Amino acid sequence: MRNSMKVAKWEIKRNLKNKSFVIGLFLTPILILGFGFLGSLFGSDDEPSETTVFVNDQLEIFDMLAETVDQYELGWELQQTDLTEGDIHDELENNEDTAYIFLTPEALESGVIPVYTTDEIDSGFSSQVQLLTGPLQQIRIAQLDLTEEELAIISSNVVFEETSAEDYVAEESVSLASPLEKLVPGIFAGIILFAIVVTGMMIFQSASQEKKDKIAEIILSSVTPGELMNGKIIGYFVLGLIQVAVLLIFVVPFAATKIDEPIIEYLFVPETLLLVFIAILGYLLFAAIFVGIGATMADMTTSGNFQGLVMMLPFLSFVLMAPVLSNPSGMVAKVASYVPFTSPGVLIMRLTALDEWPWVEIIIAIVVLVISILLFMKLAGKIFKVGILMYGKNATPGEIWKWIRS
Amino acid sequence: MEVMLTVEGLEKSFKNKKALKGITFEVRKGEIMAILGPNGAGKSTTIRNIMGIMYPDKGSITFHNHQGKEIPRHKIGYLPEERGLYKNVKVMDILLYLADLKDYPLDKAKERILMYLKKFDLEGKDKVSIDELSKGMGQKVQFIGSILHEPELLILDEPFSGLDPVSQELFKDEIRNLADNGTAILLSSHQMNLVEEMCDRLFMIQNGQKVIYGTLDEVKTKYANFKCTIRGKNSLQILESIPKVGRVEQKEESAVLFLEQDVDPTSWLKDLPSNVVVQELKMNRISLHEIFIDIATNNNLIQEAGELDA
Repeated sequence: MRNSMKVAKWEIKRNLKNKSFVIGLFLTPILILGFGFLGSLFGSDDEPSETTVFVNDQLEIFDMLAETVDQYELGWELQQTDLTEGDIHDELENNEDTAYIFLTPEALESGVIPVYTTDEIDSGFSSQVQLLTGPLQQIRIAQLDLTEEELAIISSNVVFEETSAEDYVAEESVSLASPLEKLVPGIFAGIILFAIVVTGMMIFQSASQEKKDKIAEIILSSVTPGELMNGKIIGYFVLGLIQVAVLLIFVVPFAATKIDEPIIEYLFVPETLLLVFIAILGYLLFAAIFVGIGATMADMTTSGNFQGLVMMLPFLSFVLMAPVLSNPSGMVAKVASYVPFTSPGVLIMRLTALDEWPWVEIIIAIVVLVISILLFMKLAGKIFKVGILMYGKNATPGEIWKWIRS
Repeated sequence: MEVMLTVEGLEKSFKNKKALKGITFEVRKGEIMAILGPNGAGKSTTIRNIMGIMYPDKGSITFHNHQGKEIPRHKIGYLPEERGLYKNVKVMDILLYLADLKDYPLDKAKERILMYLKKFDLEGKDKVSIDELSKGMGQKVQFIGSILHEPELLILDEPFSGLDPVSQELFKDEIRNLADNGTAILLSSHQMNLVEEMCDRLFMIQNGQKVIYGTLDEVKTKYANFKCTIRGKNSLQILESIPKVGRVEQKEESAVLFLEQDVDPTSWLKDLPSNVVVQELKMNRISLHEIFIDIATNNNLIQEAGELDA
């Protein structure tokens, strides 16, 4: 174990001194932030510009209108004007995003208010302008000389109030809770799983590089193959965590300023612990597979189909993302939770999407996962021991099978 | 002398081929023991079995200064045949890592690294990245890595391959030096001239079997007959008629006479016929190199010797 820690320390130090690793370390969060920033850049382009609305107010209710506009945050620039319907033709030709409203006693009486707009007008304007019907309607009602009670009855609308059976039972349900509250721990665990699996792929390179540089035998004169393998797994795990830490340092403050929710608070919940635990199990599984396969290859560029296929295993869960998220309790999701290669990713997705956690399923899935980790570690150890010293050629699946059986 | 390592009856098979067929030898404190043999004879396989990188099918390997079953890795220095270093790390970093893996105190290791770098003409290279070094320099760094922790037993697999004559001399001196200071050294090589100059005992191996085992002098007296090199214009007939001459190899003006085994050099010289033209005359034993080539090519020389011996 002491030797494993030495190997781990060396792998960490070696990578942290390596320029390309350090660049990658900071590039990942910058890329993520970069896309986020670009998104918001495009987003702000779509925001409606202010519509200028001129009101020819012969009813003297301009203040009331202004109040309504403020109340609904319509983003209009409201101005009074003396222009009549006949004068505005040229104005409309030469302006953009402008509208004229004529509030005349005749219009109020007929209930049809003439509105003239330029060709270019905010798409939401026609629906926004309907909001002004409320105050105008009240003025019309007020002119009828009704009592206050009558007024109240007329001005209140009739609505249907729906209560479904579920809501009826648990009236004070979490319907008020923000969807983010459930999402944050899942996203967090997902990031951890992704970051350490990607870093874990470096184990693969590291093991095959060891062969290519022919240093394996020198190292193995001081440590056992098992210690070397464990050292690599631990070392790259720490490197993965460093990547996660750098990512969080960059992304969390950014997200916190962008999203108006207590993200940090959502993060520190007991659920996060289980999700992170699953993510770490996922790492251990893939690390064992990668370190074993890496030891069978002298050169990345000549990897056979078999090795290529194994490299794709962690991405299986991404393939299943759509069916699992659309139906977190469905058949696909349940089966995938018990398959070790997909279970870490799928479990994290399901637990994020589901309101109530299926504890029995979770426990069975974790037990399956832990057993497969132990199994794969053992197999990887056997493969690593022989493979790391086989120079010059890649091992065939047949050879690997023979090593496992020996 | 104290025995450090005993190898007994080592056997190992790869697929259906037997690579080692009962190898037995020992390495003693303060001596240089050489394993010699042509390519594929089983030298590296033997060494890997000793280092626990492979496991023998049969036979035992005993480290005498050590209790317990494991290999005392911290007391052994090992320079494998297939060797290299991590590419993009600094010389000092990798040497310290290797020392750390051997549990050698780091401050002491640092001192020794600087000392050895200076000794091997690599002064000031401690902060240079490995991939900027030439192959020979890299090999020196590997060698330093294997002796840094003051091992009791040093195992060198083909230490001289790829080195220029100057570096070969440097390595040779340092290996001799370590042996004089009490390190037991096991080295494999097929560069006979170097081995002949430095080893105390040798084990020659072919097809996984022992061919010769003994001290250099023993081997030489036992297997290496005298040969006489004469420069001068002589006909083959005259040379072949000289008594106790087994075989003659003539090249232009010089001829090598391989003498029979029980020749006494002084009396043989006295009996040299006066009609032999001698510009220059050299009398020495057949070198290891020649024995080696004879073994490797299955020539008759050693067999003759073997038959006579039997």
